[in-house]
Amino acid sequence: MDYLGQDRREGLGRKAHSRFVLILLILVSVLLLLSSLYSAQASVFKKAREGVIDAASPVLSLLSGPINYVNGVAGSIGDYFNVMEQNKALREENAELRQWMNEALELRETVASYDALQGYVAPPTAQPISAFVIGEANDAFARSMIVNAGRANNVEVGQAVVDASGLVGRIVEAGGSASRVLLLTDIQSRIPVYIEGADVEGILVGNTRSNPVISFTAGSDEAVTEPGQRVLTSGAGGALPRGLPIGVVASQRRNDIVVDLYANYARTRMVRVINYAFPAIEPEAPADAAAAAGAQTGEQTADAPQPPAEG
Amino acid sequence: MGYRAENLLRLFKAMAPTMLGVLGVLVLAAPVRLFEGFAPTPIFPLVIVFFWSVYGPDYLPPLSVFVIGLLQDLLTGGPLGLWPAVYLFTQFIVMSQRAYFLGREQKVVWIGFGFASLGAGLILWLVMSLMSGALLPVRFLLLQLAATVAIYPVFGAVFKELHRRVLVEA
Repeated sequence: MDYLGQDRREGLGRKAHSRFVLILLILVSVLLLLSSLYSAQASVFKKAREGVIDAASPVLSLLSGPINYVNGVAGSIGDYFNVMEQNKALREENAELRQWMNEALELRETVASYDALQGYVAPPTAQPISAFVIGEANDAFARSMIVNAGRANNVEVGQAVVDASGLVGRIVEAGGSASRVLLLTDIQSRIPVYIEGADVEGILVGNTRSNPVISFTAGSDEAVTEPGQRVLTSGAGGALPRGLPIGVVASQRRNDIVVDLYANYARTRMVRVINYAFPAIEPEAPADAAAAAGAQTGEQTADAPQPPAEG
Repeated sequence: MGYRAENLLRLFKAMAPTMLGVLGVLVLAAPVRLFEGFAPTPIFPLVIVFFWSVYGPDYLPPLSVFVIGLLQDLLTGGPLGLWPAVYLFTQFIVMSQRAYFLGREQKVVWIGFGFASLGAGLILWLVMSLMSGALLPVRFLLLQLAATVAIYPVFGAVFKELHRRVLVEA
């Protein structure tokens, strides 16, 4: 009855059981894997990745239309069932937020009056770039998303990506019109953070679980935290702006602090890429000054001053 | 039908499984978040690789499998060569057991697919654990594999009709 696969017609491969090709290609894959261990940032690979993201972004945008529709319908069915509960929670939250708003307004006035009093230089403000999530790695061990903004929109590798609730991740590949965001839960994600009120700084390390963990450098003092304390980017190392909200402390086991993220990756749809120029020392003028100084003392080189690397 | 049209049709038929695999990768890369992300997206390309490795290896030669895997690597941002290795290894194992699968009931083939997925998952986990230097949590992987195995009967039936009525016949 079942004659599937019994007869040979021409497919793409004429020599059907070319084991040789199969084994050869397995070897090629393994070689690729080994080489990407050592040269993950090689320009050929990088170009290929960016090219593929760019090429796939129109198709992914097209696919995400019906998918979002289906998700919307599925989501609203769920919403009907707990609308009362949500309403109550929202009302409570609203009341709380109003209190905060009043406090913030007061503070804003105070800060404005202080600013007026002093010769105050504001840090550069970030220029957010809005983008939609058009793809994501639905993979057990890779946590990333593809957004539809690229170099054409001034997106660059290393920039922070936030949504309404907090930090989502950071850009690791920037194509022409689409880029990849490495999420905080990916095993490769390392974000310098600090815990508000606990006076500790550390590195937020992703581990593919939904809750990443803050780890500290060896030999650092024991950190004492309480659940509920806020975790924010520290800006150490000059990678991300300081003070982006990430989440709250969930629990602590000795020196491992588990963080509950604000970002809900199952709901992340619209994000903002933060195009933040760090307040850097102007490279040219100090270099000239250093060169002049070097000429005077005869010792110093004319290297541009290095930004302080800490963390 | 003209000679040229017939040739085109033949090419299309020969390419169909490969194109399906590419489409599977694209769907896998799309933000499908059924039930708020609680249901992981099945690994569609694995179903396609398995099916055509059993029923029509001529239609999905190793090079096609390699390309499908490489595309998935490039789109998910993982290390290059990971998914080609997983898919090609699956194809290797399945093709060595092909004589057993042919003519069996779908239930038996389904169980075979379960074992093949477990093998693929094991390779994936081993490679990623080696690369990250720590034993990675397997919960999400197992869920995703379960989802993939769960959809096999549906996709298997559809692919069977497609293969028998469109690709091989006529």
